[in-house]
Amino acid sequence: MIVSNVQNALEQLWSHKLRSLLTVLGIVIAVASTITVVGVIQGFTAYVAQFLQGLGTNAMWVWPERPGGEAGKRLGRIELDQRDFEAIATGCEAVRRVSPLIRRPTAAIRYQGEELNVPLEGVSAEYHPIRNFPVEVGRPFSVADIENAHHVCILGREVMNKLGASEEIVGRTVLIDRQRFQVIGLLLEKGSFLGNSQDNLVLIPYTMALKLYPASIRKIALTAQATSEEAVPEARAQITNLLRRRHQLTASQPNDFQVRTQDEILETFNSMSLVATVVLSGIVGISLLVGGIGIMNVMLVSVTERTREIGLRKAVGARRRDIMLQFLTEAVSLSLVGGGLGIALGYGLCALASLHPQMVDVVVPTWAVILGFGISATTGVVFGLVPAAKAALLNPIDALRHE
Amino acid sequence: MRTTSPITAEATPDPPVIRLEGITKEYRMGAVTVRALQGVDLTIGRNELVAIMGPSGSGKSTLMNILGCLDIPTAGKYELDGRDVARLSQSELARVRSRGIGFVFQTFELLPRQTALRNVELPLTYGGGPNRRARAVESLRRVGLENRMDHRPNQMSGGQRQRVAIARALVQRPALLLADEPTGNLDTATGDEILELFGELHRQGQTIVIVTHEPDVAARCRRVVRIRDGRVESDLSSRDTETSR
Repeated sequence: MIVSNVQNALEQLWSHKLRSLLTVLGIVIAVASTITVVGVIQGFTAYVAQFLQGLGTNAMWVWPERPGGEAGKRLGRIELDQRDFEAIATGCEAVRRVSPLIRRPTAAIRYQGEELNVPLEGVSAEYHPIRNFPVEVGRPFSVADIENAHHVCILGREVMNKLGASEEIVGRTVLIDRQRFQVIGLLLEKGSFLGNSQDNLVLIPYTMALKLYPASIRKIALTAQATSEEAVPEARAQITNLLRRRHQLTASQPNDFQVRTQDEILETFNSMSLVATVVLSGIVGISLLVGGIGIMNVMLVSVTERTREIGLRKAVGARRRDIMLQFLTEAVSLSLVGGGLGIALGYGLCALASLHPQMVDVVVPTWAVILGFGISATTGVVFGLVPAAKAALLNPIDALRHE
Repeated sequence: MRTTSPITAEATPDPPVIRLEGITKEYRMGAVTVRALQGVDLTIGRNELVAIMGPSGSGKSTLMNILGCLDIPTAGKYELDGRDVARLSQSELARVRSRGIGFVFQTFELLPRQTALRNVELPLTYGGGPNRRARAVESLRRVGLENRMDHRPNQMSGGQRQRVAIARALVQRPALLLADEPTGNLDTATGDEILELFGELHRQGQTIVIVTHEPDVAARCRRVVRIRDGRVESDLSSRDTETSR
């Protein structure tokens, strides 16, 4: 019974290929967008998780920032200096490591006639374990390098490549903003995130950076590592309390600095994917409605066209439920074909998206495929009910006489 | 449209295949009530070949619909093969149509995209039980179309199509074969062949009722029931003349 219903349904669809195809377009779009967007979001989620891992373990960032509004305007100078850094390094139990972070978006680096502008960061030796960004060749900064502000630097792999140099550059001298620096190490390659290479970076001792860029002395940022994942909120609270005390802020005054943790970055991303999901739901909802109405329409036409067939089937013993089931099967087959095409199209779009060099690896999870079939089957049932009921309730005498 | 219903019984002569007692059928058309049948009494025994005749508007079609369990009477009693079917529900009626009655229509009513075999199998998909294919093949053999099993209706002549329809009607081995103007869409020679086939089936013991308005067709039947104004006008048996030829 079910087998012959499905067989019948597929024959019907096949004998009206173009009509069936046009009818299921809405479903195809709905399912294809589900598959594509879910795949892309999943891909990005995996990628962001990986990126956050790469940012460091239980890492957090602190930087001076004037708060918004009237209260912010009434604050005096917004500063974060070396003494704040030292206070955090010694005074916060939940903080295992902390490194200053003096960022220059561009610094001119010159080697053997090649000159380029690269981002530069002034850091301490603690930077490597905090960011999971170890030195692969050569050595990290020593205590003496930091304390004495030696002219030494560590290069990212991409900087080395762009300078046209090999690993032999370690030990050689480069010019950074017209000062001579000795290259003491090369960072382990980290790859790119959203098309931005993380290896396009020069590190120098933060003490050296403060000399090179004196304006940064009162505006340094910090990167810190909590003792454990659970300790991240505690570390954040300790840093906040300590800085508020040191900056002599009263209870009514807002923070004159920002503390950001990895979780918050993740939250930012999650709210982005939430927006994408909401937009997706809208697209899927509308196309399912359109597709469903299309299916209902074509099924109603089919019922009318086949009135005599329905009359005959009833005359030879089909009950109402048999006719109902036959037409429901047809509607569901139609929508499942649409779902199948949609899944294929979704995979195609994902594959197409993956071709872009800066695109993440798009992963279509199995549950999205099941979801795709689920929503198409449900649409078939919901919008097939009315035509199927119409067919089932036909009076066999009238149906057989129908011209 | 007129309908002829043949009824076949198996071995024993009792009970009758059809017993109608005081069948009335009324239709409401707005404020007017139309009485299509006004107390029809009719008994058709096993292995009878009966023609039901009557002008249009006589109630012939209504009678055929009731005999075929496509419709239920307003009042009266209908026993089909010993079973009271006058007050059955829709799905019980469907079951009776499936097992007890085989329909043959003027316009054949074959499914155009399906082979002869699949058309004959159709009634078996509704509660037909096992060995569907074998039973359908057997039925096609009875009408002499075992060589046309894989043909579609548009690859067959009108006579062949009606034979397929007859095979479909026979596949459940129904107590009653009910034919509605079975030769109406066929030329005379082909119509004769079909009537010949009915005669053959009748000789094999099938009860057949043919609804028709063609005297030629009625002349082939031993018994002719004439309907007029919703009543049985005459019920003549030519006992000893030949049934079909």
